[in-house]
Amino acid sequence: MAKLTEPAIQDYLPLPLPVFHMLLALSEGERHGYGLKREILRRTNGKLNLGSGALYGSISRMIEQGLIEESEERPDFHLDDERRRYYRITALGRRVVQAEAVRLQHLVRLAEDTLGLPELA
Amino acid sequence: MVDLSRFYRVLLKLYPARFREEFEGPLERQFADEYREASTRSARAAFLLRALADFALTLPPEIGREVRQDLSYAARVYRRRAVVTGLALTALALAIGATTGVFSVVNALLLRSLPFREPERIVQVQTPSVPPLAGRPQFYAWRDSNPSLADVAAYFPTEMNLGLAGQSARLPIAETSANFFALLGGEPQFGRGFAADEDMEGRDGVAVIAFSVWQQFFGGDPRVLGQTIHLNGAPLTVIGVAPPAFDFPGKTAVWTPTVFDFQRVPLQGVFYGDTVGRLKPGLSLPQARTMFEAEARRLIPDSFTRAGRLRPSLIPLQERLAGTVRQASLVLLGVVAFVLLIACANVAHLLLSRVAERRRELMIRGALGASRARLVQQLITESTLLTAASAAAGLGVAHWAARLAAMTQPGKLASQVYTVLDTRVLLFSVGVALITGLVFGVLPALLIGRLQLAMDPLRSQPGSRGSGAGRMRAALVVLQAAFTLVLLAGSIIMGRSFLRLLRTDLGYRTANVVTLNVSLAGTRWESAHIMAQYYNDALQRLRTVPGVDSAAAVQFMPLIESFGMGSTFELDSSHNSSIASTIAATTDYFRTMGTDLVEGREFNAADRANSERVAVVNEEFVRRVGAGPHLVGRRITAKWPPGAKAVTIVGIVRTARAHGPSDPGSPQIFFPAEQWVPGFVTFVARVRGNVEPYLPVCRDAVQQVDGKVPVYDVKTLDERLSDNLARPRFYTTAVLFLGGFALLLALVGIYGVASYSITQRTHEIGVRIAVGAPSPGVRLLLARQSLLPMLLGLAGGIFPAVALGKYLQHLIDSAQVVDAQTCGAAASLLAAFAAVAVWSATRRVTRVDPMAALRAE
Repeated sequence: MAKLTEPAIQDYLPLPLPVFHMLLALSEGERHGYGLKREILRRTNGKLNLGSGALYGSISRMIEQGLIEESEERPDFHLDDERRRYYRITALGRRVVQAEAVRLQHLVRLAEDTLGLPELA
Repeated sequence: MVDLSRFYRVLLKLYPARFREEFEGPLERQFADEYREASTRSARAAFLLRALADFALTLPPEIGREVRQDLSYAARVYRRRAVVTGLALTALALAIGATTGVFSVVNALLLRSLPFREPERIVQVQTPSVPPLAGRPQFYAWRDSNPSLADVAAYFPTEMNLGLAGQSARLPIAETSANFFALLGGEPQFGRGFAADEDMEGRDGVAVIAFSVWQQFFGGDPRVLGQTIHLNGAPLTVIGVAPPAFDFPGKTAVWTPTVFDFQRVPLQGVFYGDTVGRLKPGLSLPQARTMFEAEARRLIPDSFTRAGRLRPSLIPLQERLAGTVRQASLVLLGVVAFVLLIACANVAHLLLSRVAERRRELMIRGALGASRARLVQQLITESTLLTAASAAAGLGVAHWAARLAAMTQPGKLASQVYTVLDTRVLLFSVGVALITGLVFGVLPALLIGRLQLAMDPLRSQPGSRGSGAGRMRAALVVLQAAFTLVLLAGSIIMGRSFLRLLRTDLGYRTANVVTLNVSLAGTRWESAHIMAQYYNDALQRLRTVPGVDSAAAVQFMPLIESFGMGSTFELDSSHNSSIASTIAATTDYFRTMGTDLVEGREFNAADRANSERVAVVNEEFVRRVGAGPHLVGRRITAKWPPGAKAVTIVGIVRTARAHGPSDPGSPQIFFPAEQWVPGFVTFVARVRGNVEPYLPVCRDAVQQVDGKVPVYDVKTLDERLSDNLARPRFYTTAVLFLGGFALLLALVGIYGVASYSITQRTHEIGVRIAVGAPSPGVRLLLARQSLLPMLLGLAGGIFPAVALGKYLQHLIDSAQVVDAQTCGAAASLLAAFAAVAVWSATRRVTRVDPMAALRAE
């Protein structure tokens, strides 16, 4: 069912950090919940470890907001457990995560212009 | 590992339905994976801790989110059916409110503990021998020999003139034995209670004042200790201030020791003493009571046969203070709880019919994947929303009911105030609301269970089964119609008799009259000839107040509860006699009260202390004497006291209903106040125009004579009449409320049943319309079928209605019997309302599309 009135992209911002990471990870391809968690763990060098309740709570909200959707396609049946659900990013989700990245970029530039940033080691 | 998974699965059940339905599988799976991956024991422990923390942190927001969604959906559902929702809401609000209101009275009187130490161990000592009356040594000897009570205190409540620092007031006072405060444990806020010997002659010049008196008259000044106050003129030293909540035995302002001297009869008021005791440690109330009664039997063998209601016993103080209200409020609580139950049944029915209408919606949602748990959660949210709203509105009803009860029969102590704003009462109403909501939630939920059992839910044909349930519904309507008729007939007669009370000619006119009380006890005017001087002065001042037409004073004023005096009077040179109460009154009294003179004259300035003794009698006296109507000029003599002088009747007045409209009026004889000077009077002044502004003006006028004489109970006569009618008004309001409420419930019930049966028969109706039946005809048919059980109920309700009428006559003497006319009126009212309800329930028939109904087949 299409949303009758789609809120402006800006209304979704700023994204909570876990949501930002989840959208980023999903924009590379479909994943199931646990896969998503592990991917985020890897990307953040183990710093962002989402509990399952928090993970699926965020997923549920993102589905409601139309940022991601459940995918009907499954990998090879034998490899899969039917209890697993796969998710993919929507077009809206993609726009929102880009907008968030732009917002962050502005912030970083602002900080750089104001006080300069030390060289990363 | 197996056990841990199971434990986690149980935890998951706590998540709300939709979240669980969506993610239960993945969550379980992920838990198993992660647990397996944790290789060491410590890693596993850390994982478990993290999982628990995650669960605890995410549970509340998930629940909050789903409740919000369900609530907004529920609000939409209710908005769509505003009339049904309004009916259900009103019925529940009234039922919950009435129950809570009555509970607030029960709570104040029976549950809230009294402001004493171990209040449950304090008893009222009921004994016909009244030990304190024998004297101080006897009283304490009796106390010490008593096997069941650790201590007994005596107290004598009365009213006295309190004078302090130039101000004066009429206040409730208690004279007590010295151990009073020690026994109750109401140790003064500061200062001290009475010392053990302060209830002896010569040492009793001390007083403990109430917290409120301290605030009002001393501005809370701690230097109050040691100051002198005057009670009926006797100087007392303040030694203590009672704690704020302490006002036993009843709104008491000052406590002072008694000296057990009962020869010194109080100047006025009723002499009345009572005793409280504290149970000996280790004795239970039944044990102590048995011992006490055995002891009483030994000391005064005939006390059980002689005393009747006052047979020796120990009664818990709380029970005694509650008095008759205890039983009345418990009975009422039972009745309103019953009404609440009926309301619940009806509203549940109403909601059931709505659920039945929503079968399709629910089944479609079910087919789209909503689990049963999810639909049940939705329905329970809907019913909880309804009851929460009803309970909130019900608190308003409860507040009003508690205020009404407080106006009629307030608690004796300040700590027994009826209020809804009490933790226990609020918890009670929340509890009632929760239970009610669950009942509604569960019934429709059960129905859903049945819906999902059906093999092909979208096509299954409802209504073909369950004619047994149909019969039960009809029986419910029959019973309810009977019940409603009874209550309606009751309210009609109560309402009618109350109107009759209001229209009763009292024998005096209450409009535009100011009344105020004065007592000269303990003031410098306390001797017969200067008392008269005070009254004359005060009357002079009252009469010069601009706007006052006439003013007078009287000893016993109609509509003031007081104990009169009386005697038997004999008519000269005959054996005709009658008892009569005697009342002293001044010039202009009858004119001021608007009591018509039938014959002869009123008192006038010529009736002086040393002139001929005269009297005015009322018509009732003339009738009882039975010596013809013309008694003016005849002489009457009191039989008691012996040797009383004969007085000449100079006038006859109309009989006044002294105790209000329901009092038929009794024989009265009036004497001129100059000849029988009373120690206290009520001043009455008839004024022009709006009477309220005259209240302070008249009080000031009387107070100008002597600021040390307390002027109290300044009220209009209309106000006193209204107070007098408080009790019948309360019963009338209660019965009218229950009657109106029953009518509303009956409407809800009938509407619910009718609309349920129509929903069930949509298919049949469709067929009838399809084969050509006009829709008004179908509506008539349905209406007739729904109204039939209701008419049966009306017929069945007539006998109980008549019986109720008889009961109400016991309650209020002015109530009339239920006659055919009353029953007829109540029945037609009910039938008319029911017809409207059923007709509007059948409105939907006109919207049935025969083709759609048939296609559903």
